[in-house]
Amino acid sequence: MTVAALVESLRSRGVIAADAPPFAHAGHDRPWFIALLQGAAGWLAGLFLLVFAAMIFEPKTTTAIFVVGLVLIVSALGLYFADRNAVFLDQLALALSIAGQFALAWAIMKDQKSAVLIAALLLAMQCAVFAVMPNKLARTLAALFASAAWIYLVRLWLRPGNGGVDDFFAEDGLHHAPLMGGASVPVGWIATWTPLVLATWWLVEREARWMARGAADFARPALTGMLLGVTFGGIVTEPLTLFALRDTELGIPFNLWSLFPLLSIGLALYASYAAFRVRNPALVGIAIAGALLHLSRFYYLYGTTLMWKAAIMLVVGAALLLGARLLRRRESA
Amino acid sequence: MSARVKRDELDRIARSYSLDATAVESLLDAADARPSRADRQDFLAGCARHGGVLSLAAGIVFFVAANWGRMAVFGRFALLELLFVAVLGIGLFKPPPRFVGRAALFLSFIITGALLALFGQTYQTGADVYELFLTWALLGLPFAIAAQWGVASAAWIIVLDTALLLFCGWQPRGGLLWVVFDGGRLNATHAILMAAFLNLALWFAFEKVEVRAVPDWVRRVALTCGMMFVTWAGVLGVTGNDFGGSSSSTRAIAFVGAILALAAVTWIALRWRRDVYPLAVAFASFVILGMVLIAEAVDTPDEASLFIMAFWLIATSTIGGRMLVKLMRQWRVETA
Repeated sequence: MTVAALVESLRSRGVIAADAPPFAHAGHDRPWFIALLQGAAGWLAGLFLLVFAAMIFEPKTTTAIFVVGLVLIVSALGLYFADRNAVFLDQLALALSIAGQFALAWAIMKDQKSAVLIAALLLAMQCAVFAVMPNKLARTLAALFASAAWIYLVRLWLRPGNGGVDDFFAEDGLHHAPLMGGASVPVGWIATWTPLVLATWWLVEREARWMARGAADFARPALTGMLLGVTFGGIVTEPLTLFALRDTELGIPFNLWSLFPLLSIGLALYASYAAFRVRNPALVGIAIAGALLHLSRFYYLYGTTLMWKAAIMLVVGAALLLGARLLRRRESA
Repeated sequence: MSARVKRDELDRIARSYSLDATAVESLLDAADARPSRADRQDFLAGCARHGGVLSLAAGIVFFVAANWGRMAVFGRFALLELLFVAVLGIGLFKPPPRFVGRAALFLSFIITGALLALFGQTYQTGADVYELFLTWALLGLPFAIAAQWGVASAAWIIVLDTALLLFCGWQPRGGLLWVVFDGGRLNATHAILMAAFLNLALWFAFEKVEVRAVPDWVRRVALTCGMMFVTWAGVLGVTGNDFGGSSSSTRAIAFVGAILALAAVTWIALRWRRDVYPLAVAFASFVILGMVLIAEAVDTPDEASLFIMAFWLIATSTIGGRMLVKLMRQWRVETA
């Protein structure tokens, strides 16, 4: 159905007045692969610009790095407001914004000892970027990064490490008692994912309401960004060094709690269902790819025998096929 | 299936006509923007079905990979072969296009790979890993064709490309491909170009002969894999970091081959005027090659090459994105 046909349909249903002016086609539709191409290019350009700025200005102190980051973000904001319709300026603004965010993140992480505080500040930064940037892709990325910051915040709060930036990337080899003992894993999972799942569910359910209130400029990218966070966030719920293929380090010992990350697959499938409900086929595909990625993580990450893993997958497979059959029966009943 | 109005357009319509919540509900209904309850159940059932088949396939692969040492060799083979015969029987008894038949034949394809892995592992044939994947692709081809399913076709393409990637990347000395690309007259660079052109030929053939078992998204997988090899060849051509030394003729062949492939894909896509995805992938490859060229050409200072690369990325992605969207809209109007 074309936009013109849809508007005519609205006229005939009496939703809009018969003499309402014709709809001015803005023509901002971009397929997902073009958005991906431009997003990836903006990302990479942002990194290059940051390194360039660092080499030219050689900021040595945290304040200098912070100022460089702020200048880059304010420049991006200026470019976005300069001409909303110029794609070139959009791309340049995205690159500068990303470069500025990296610089601010660097400034935050440089001298902070508390990993929880770092995660909280990064979350606040992404929320500010989301609120301020008048660009859909920038807001979507901000929502995605905010989701990642939230995941780290909960994880590091419940399972503190040595403190500082290393906790984001490596285990320090020392044992740190989780805040709630063994229950830290399920509590952490619930605390991490419940807000994201509820928020995205609410956004899907109440779509008509926020569209009517003119909040689509915020709600739409928030929904996409958070669904991407739900899809891939499971990867950052474990220390990256455990994603190793070395003989000596093949993951955490198997116990019931280690089944929780299998739920990452379930989360990715929830994201695909939510994306289907808003008719976003690209996001459905990405979510399904995320689910497959989590499946391969399960193969490599968890230190149990392959026989157990095979048994789990066979049981899960049989359960899913049974579920599919029951759903089909309900449909035809 | 007719194209639906995108969400962004719906948002603009709602804002433009100041629709209230009830009116927006009518807008979403008129645009068929929300799947019905039946559609949602269908989707969940489809996900469960596909997920179930993939889980079973993963379980079988994990099972073989477990190297079940307690069973005798004969027992291991017997178990896997019985499973193979069982799913093949289901596939013949309830053939495609029924889902059970498709899934069974897909599993037959997967078990073929598992059997070959077990064979190689048990008898220590000395074959390289790429030979496993290549043999899997060759022996599994009849099952992929018989399944008449996009998932099976995509899996076959991925297995084939894994074989090609392993051969081109590790340059193992042995096996079927080594007979041809042994570093004498033909070397790794030629192998990469061969892999690229093979994928592109598959894409072209499937676009020409529209087969239901190879839907749009599977053709795009073949094209994307092809363009990855093209980009690889182009990077080798620019940097000259070939496996067997960087002779100028090899570099020239790699570079020219990559450019020819990009030109061919672009020309075909512009001729067909159907889908901008081939143009987007070719463009992405062009952008990457440009970056590598800049990094090679600008020796010092480093700041200059970083700035030029950033500018290259911004300018090309902007111009390219604009052109692609313009073409997409033009072709959409032409085909409407």
